[in-house]
Amino acid sequence: MIRLRCLLLLLAVPAIARANGQWVLERSTLAYHVSHPLHDTDGVSHAARGKAVCRSGECEVLVAAPVKSFDSGDSNRDLHMVQVVDGARYPLVSVRLRAPEAKDSAEIHCDLQIEFAGKTATYPQVPFTVTDEGGERRISGTIPAKLSDFGIPPPSLLAVPVKNDMPIRVDTVWRPA
Amino acid sequence: MPMDDFRQTLRKLAAAVLFLTLAPVLRADSDEWRFLPSLQAALETSADQGNPDPEQANPSPPPETPPPAPSQPSLQDLGFTPEQQIGSVERQALLDKRTRMLKIHQRLGLITIIPFVATLATAGGAKEHEGGSSQRNLHAALGLVTAAMYIATASYAIRAPKIEGMRTRGQIRWHKALAWVHGVGMVLTPILGAMARNQLDNGEKVHGIAKAHSTVAAITVAAYAAAIATVAIKF
Repeated sequence: MIRLRCLLLLLAVPAIARANGQWVLERSTLAYHVSHPLHDTDGVSHAARGKAVCRSGECEVLVAAPVKSFDSGDSNRDLHMVQVVDGARYPLVSVRLRAPEAKDSAEIHCDLQIEFAGKTATYPQVPFTVTDEGGERRISGTIPAKLSDFGIPPPSLLAVPVKNDMPIRVDTVWRPA
Repeated sequence: MPMDDFRQTLRKLAAAVLFLTLAPVLRADSDEWRFLPSLQAALETSADQGNPDPEQANPSPPPETPPPAPSQPSLQDLGFTPEQQIGSVERQALLDKRTRMLKIHQRLGLITIIPFVATLATAGGAKEHEGGSSQRNLHAALGLVTAAMYIATASYAIRAPKIEGMRTRGQIRWHKALAWVHGVGMVLTPILGAMARNQLDNGEKVHGIAKAHSTVAAITVAAYAAAIATVAIKF
């Protein structure tokens, strides 16, 4: 009888661990996009770090990246970006979200909170795609951010400002901690 | 009968042991024993006097509490040190100053196009077979204005604060490389122009290195236009 109970307990441990588990960001691509009449620009960062704490089927997620890690392919533009978003005063951009712990591939909707340039903006019900990749989870989506959400004055080139829209493409791969 | 007596005694002993062994359990789990007023009173006294089993004292099941909210991860959990999280006002001020100066550089550079074009437009009238003195004066004056504006434009880029640890990447490299071309051209063009003017004023044909004035000017204009294009258009 005792042996049976021990066996049942051992079998239950992985299920408990999965339900109340933690996930670590394995690799990621965060890319902002700004548009100017003369050209479009994408600034990409692979330096984000993230952690997800899951309990009872719900996960608290935090992803953060240094502002200066975004690379648009032009050092002058990157420095200007850091300046215009107060990146030296607020060196990190962080995203907090609460998401359901998807067991399989699915589309989830999350309420996001982005802290950037010393301001916090909330984006409700942003769709993300979750894909199971052999033990790892890929979560990708696009956050419909705008410069005005963070009080960022639109940078201009040749006296023409960039568009207010600044969609942020998110592609993250998570592994169990 | 001694055997019967022994059995009877054994039964009583077994019953007593059984009673003593089960009494606490039965007292806790059954109300059957409470029909005995004395035992009931003794149990209540025991409960009032303290140290009862918590489940006994509060037999109703505890109210269902919601599961605790998942603990939120922090930036420290991600491995960011406090130094990485805290910004620098001085560094921001340096970036602000750099941007301010480069904006002036950009603005002056665009304004400089106006005297640049005007100088080019008057170049035809300053040629040795066609131009008169007044047209050459105008061309020279516009050239000087262009040179002055150019020096002012360049000075803002040169004096803008440099950011430590920043490696130059992208099209800005072409912008900086072309600055060497139009920078040298902007020094040589007025010198060669003054030499040519001097030769014409002396009644000579333009000769020697002065003949390169228009060619050097054309290269300078081309490099200047290309430098603007490198920051304006993404290749």
